[in-house]
Amino acid sequence: MVTEEKKKELLAKLRNAVIQYDEDTSKEASQEALDVGMEANDAIFNGLVSGMVEVGKMFEAQEYFVPELLMCADALYAGLDILKPHVKQLDLGVKGSVVIGTVEGDVHDIGKNIVKMMFDVAGFTVYDLGRDVPLDKFVAEQLRTDSDLVCLSAMMTTTMTGMKKVIDDLRAKNPNVKIMIGGAPVSQDVADKYGADGYAKDATNALKDAINMIESLKKMKDEVEAKKKG
Amino acid sequence: MTSMNARERVLKMFAGEEVDRPPCFSGFGNVTTEGLRSLNQNFATTHLDAKMMAAAAASTYKLFGFECGVAPFDLCIEAEAMGCEINVYAHSEDLLYPTIKKKLIHNEAELDIVIPTGLTGRGRVPMMVDVIKQLKKDIGNDAAIGSFVLGPFTLAGQIMELNDLLKLSFKKPDKIGKLLDQMSDVIIQVAQEYEKAGVDYISVREMGATSDVLSPRVFKSLILPYLKKIFEKISVPSVLHICGKTNDIVPAMAESGARAVSVDQKNDVAETRKKLGPKALIFGNYDPYNVLVAGTPDLVRQTIKKCMDDGVSAVWPGCDIWPTVPPDNMKAMMDEVKKYRR
Ligand code: B12
Repeated sequence: MVTEEKKKELLAKLRNAVIQYDEDTSKEASQEALDVGMEANDAIFNGLVSGMVEVGKMFEAQEYFVPELLMCADALYAGLDILKPHVKQLDLGVKGSVVIGTVEGDVHDIGKNIVKMMFDVAGFTVYDLGRDVPLDKFVAEQLRTDSDLVCLSAMMTTTMTGMKKVIDDLRAKNPNVKIMIGGAPVSQDVADKYGADGYAKDATNALKDAINMIESLKKMKDEVEAKKKG
Repeated sequence: MTSMNARERVLKMFAGEEVDRPPCFSGFGNVTTEGLRSLNQNFATTHLDAKMMAAAAASTYKLFGFECGVAPFDLCIEAEAMGCEINVYAHSEDLLYPTIKKKLIHNEAELDIVIPTGLTGRGRVPMMVDVIKQLKKDIGNDAAIGSFVLGPFTLAGQIMELNDLLKLSFKKPDKIGKLLDQMSDVIIQVAQEYEKAGVDYISVREMGATSDVLSPRVFKSLILPYLKKIFEKISVPSVLHICGKTNDIVPAMAESGARAVSVDQKNDVAETRKKLGPKALIFGNYDPYNVLVAGTPDLVRQTIKKCMDDGVSAVWPGCDIWPTVPPDNMKAMMDEVKKYRR
């Protein structure tokens, strides 16, 4: 068994590797964690992810900017790649899948990529369609993957209107799917008007909302199942 | 003071001479759906035809007295001349701006690029020369004629993934420096071509280097030197525009050698005025969407008055004028500027 002390040391190493965007150390420490018999979940959540949470705070405090954030994400992914195959069961309460993309006519994808990363970290299966995504592709991809959630990003007021079309189309084809929208011109007001289930002003809130939504979705499904049986 | 027309007002302001009131103009696209409708033109095709683009660029002056004509409306000219394909969304009836379809650099190994020779004969650069000449002929005696180029960092972000560019700016600053130097040469060639065609002023849009994305430290160490190189080679009055957060970098922006500094609504212009002094030219800083398009005429008036009270040298938008602007708001803006007395 791995000693408490060794465990602490490795968790700190993982955390710092992410904060200091050090991909090599992140890989090394992840491998070492597995070698000494640490739980992969522990290493991910109390090591890598705890580092990313700190990075998020530094970003808000303007100590870090987008390049640092992207490099920290790379360090996190480097460790995650090694640890993920050994994960027993991600204990987030929910497991979800999400289709995400920036809508047609819009090439702003920095914010979308940050939101995507939060979903990756949380153990979601993410289908990233990229940017400037033709509107009907969102619908096709949701149907193909049967994802719980569709996330739309738009950074311009003109492309934002494309989200309404996607929402209407998704609702018509699959009334159960949850839809979340975001991006600088988007507000709670817009989300309500367009009929989206959720809106979040940043990546952390996006994840919290997504988890809540998927939980309620699962509950709904369970209730339907229960009724069928009863 | 003797009366002056829009062009004279803008030129005098650039020359540091006294003007009756701040000019109300822009360095970026300002075509309106109202203007497009009056010309019976669609947005998507306007990007590809010199006559249509020139007519659209003149329409905001003609309809509202906005004091300039500016072309183009998209950010793809330089990248296209280097060999990128663009998408104008010809199938769409929405107002979509052209984007780059295919990048030139896909990974670090491809950073070493060769800039094609005869750049000013490629893509839409010759068309832009034609547009500027037509614009001059149409309204150039009365209104100021402007054009814009991208900044080196923003242009690099057009020909490669911005994510990669941002990361490599840290990991391989030397290689990125070399790329930015090449971008500067491209930008200088295009800007000089516009000068020859007769523009009164040129704006350099370096929106990718905003403090929303990049730290002030990296802006100063990596990007500023190339901006200096560019402004040294532009002989008409020049403007450096950065949108988003700019409070911490305005002194560096002023140091770039640009004649004027342009900022958006996130900048505290009263503070910036204190930092840069009474003589500096500061352009800004109303929100072209949330105020000019989505606001009431009253909000427009209040906002425009505040810009002038804060000390802008010219009333100027934080980005492109969004085409769907209501005519009443355009009129309210022009009226508020005209009645202003310091
Ligand atoms: C960088 C940038 C560019 C780059 C984009 C490169 C890229 N790969 O992304 C380039 C230079 C290419 C560009 C081009 C243009 N741009 Co631009 N650009 C910006 C800029 C400066 C920064 C955007 C950014 O990345 N912010 C940082 C990220 C981290 O924040 P974020 O995107 O808001 O994301 C966060 C949240 O919104 C949220 N979120 C985002 N997506 C989602 C999705 C979901 C589901 C959820 C829940 C949350 C969420 O979480 C994120 C993380 O916290 C902004 C101005 C600004 N300061 O915001 C203008 C801005 C967005 N651009 C603008 C314009 C007008 C343009 C152009 C049309 C200019 C032109 N004439 O061609 C073109 C458009 C090209 C096109 N068709 O798409 C305007 C849009 C105006 C409007 N209201 O519609 C802005 C606001 C500038 C301004 N001041 O007016 N641009």
